[in-house]
Amino acid sequence: MRAIVSVRDLSIGWGAEPILEDVSFDVMRGEVFAILGGSGCGKSTLLRHLIGLEAPMLGRVHLTGIGPPQHGLEPPQFGVLFQSSALFGSMTLLQNVMLPLQKWTNLPKDAIAAVAQARLRLVGLTGFEHHLPSEVSGGMKKRAGIARALALDPQTLFLDEPSAGLDPVTSAGLDELILTLRQSLQVTTILVTHELASIYHVVDNCIVLDRLAKGIIARGNPSDLRDRSTDPRIAAFFHRRPTGSIA
Amino acid sequence: MYTPAFTIRTDEEGGLRSLRIAGRLTLADGRALWAQLCAAVTTGVAVVDLRDVQMIDGGVAAILLAATNGKVRIDGASGEVERLLRLYACAKGSEGPPVVTASRGILVQVGDNAVEFGRELQRNLAFVGDLGAGLAAFVRRPQSVHFSDLLYLMERAGADGLPIIAVINFLIGMILGLQGAIQLHRFGADTFIANLVGLAVVRELAPLMTAIIVAGRSGASYAAELGTMTVNEEVDALRTIGQDPQRFLVLPRVLALCVVVPLLTAFGDLLGCCGGAFIAMIKLDISPTAYFSQLQRSVELSDVISGLIKSIAFAGLIGLVACQRGLATRGGALGVGRSTTSAVVLVLFGLVALDAIFTLIFSLLSF
Repeated sequence: MRAIVSVRDLSIGWGAEPILEDVSFDVMRGEVFAILGGSGCGKSTLLRHLIGLEAPMLGRVHLTGIGPPQHGLEPPQFGVLFQSSALFGSMTLLQNVMLPLQKWTNLPKDAIAAVAQARLRLVGLTGFEHHLPSEVSGGMKKRAGIARALALDPQTLFLDEPSAGLDPVTSAGLDELILTLRQSLQVTTILVTHELASIYHVVDNCIVLDRLAKGIIARGNPSDLRDRSTDPRIAAFFHRRPTGSIA
Repeated sequence: MYTPAFTIRTDEEGGLRSLRIAGRLTLADGRALWAQLCAAVTTGVAVVDLRDVQMIDGGVAAILLAATNGKVRIDGASGEVERLLRLYACAKGSEGPPVVTASRGILVQVGDNAVEFGRELQRNLAFVGDLGAGLAAFVRRPQSVHFSDLLYLMERAGADGLPIIAVINFLIGMILGLQGAIQLHRFGADTFIANLVGLAVVRELAPLMTAIIVAGRSGASYAAELGTMTVNEEVDALRTIGQDPQRFLVLPRVLALCVVVPLLTAFGDLLGCCGGAFIAMIKLDISPTAYFSQLQRSVELSDVISGLIKSIAFAGLIGLVACQRGLATRGGALGVGRSTTSAVVLVLFGLVALDAIFTLIFSLLSF
């Protein structure tokens, strides 16, 4: 297996203040990889750097076949689901999914609609194609966001807290979708999440970030980390033990 | 030159026409594939043979299934190709039955709109009533209203708007002076330029232009701000912690405008008259002393007060409409845009209508 995302000596932050320093890790093709850690440790910020929305202070991110992530020059090789789904409110779910296809393919309009409909069917949204995002539930928005992220058959999916705010059934449905995408389309998935049940079910490997350490404090399979790690911070995270302050 | 990464040939065996595709099928070749599949379906091809296809992606799987649409058999797929086709063919669709939006007849639409108009009217009346109650509570117990950011709101609507108010009113005074100077000069009535500019600016133009600028700056900003707070559920959060959005959000904004708009109008009066003085000086050779002396004789205190009374009413209208539109926002970023637009349009219409009403009342009262 080869790495599809390589991060080397990455230091990131807002302004001159670093949030994470000297972070290095690899994500292998086809795996479901999670970025874990307490609130405010920089998970979502790290994700924004991985997808090229922010420039690192030091170090580099390398995506196989692309190099450093960039936007707008050629069809995106990765899809992104933002925490808020980030669907365009003035467009129907179908139009949201059609948007990347219109931008990056030369398919005729009816073929684009057919492909977008197939993506929405894949995530279980048949019948809701002509609804605006404001007319569907939070779980449906997330699934529509995944359908849009999948529009151009990316090799890699970045998901920022896909299960946040969803009921357990919908959340479990998203987990199954992630596994299906891996099994059927060999999609590599990198996700930021807090949902322990989801982590044990779908994640192959993870890194755990810590705000005070400003870096990675553990890496490996989540179940192994839970069962074998002697680090109290890891135990606190995986066994949901309070650490004195809510952080 | 474009060369697809696949080949297609049509075979005929025992009267059965089949389309045999070979190569690698990706979305990059989707257009050519879609065209050929659609053409094949209409010319009676019964089978699409994929045995020589090495790979497909999800987009092509969707295209194959959509173009053939169950009328043509897809055959020969194996391994990854078959798995992907099955994934898209067997996608469960949705958990519930498809939601079908029934088309509505014209009568139903008219009826629905009439009902919605009635509800909107009711909501607006309730809004004004709530604000009245808030105002009464404020008079009884001033600390019951959230005033911690009143000064900030006044600064945003007032001090920050001074430069634009100054420039616009000075230019209005200049334009009025220039147009008047040409006509008055013909009749040798040059000194009356001060009467013309002074009365027009103080009674009508400065209050109206200042209110229009405040509507564009602060009115739009209030509608967008409260609209965003509404769609982000911040207004609901206020309610859940027992804060009345009217007293917490609306009343401070309306009061801030009611304080600063008359001050801005007075400032606009001064600048408008200065614009007229500038034109009188350069176009009619009237000295500033003579101009302002004539202005003092022609513009009475009641003229200034009538303009300031109007400006207070304008301020109340801007604050009320902008906040009401903001709090009535529904449906995300699109809704915020709609609210802001409707707030500005309604305020502009309301300002002109209110100005006409005031002018009529003042003329009847000889004020």
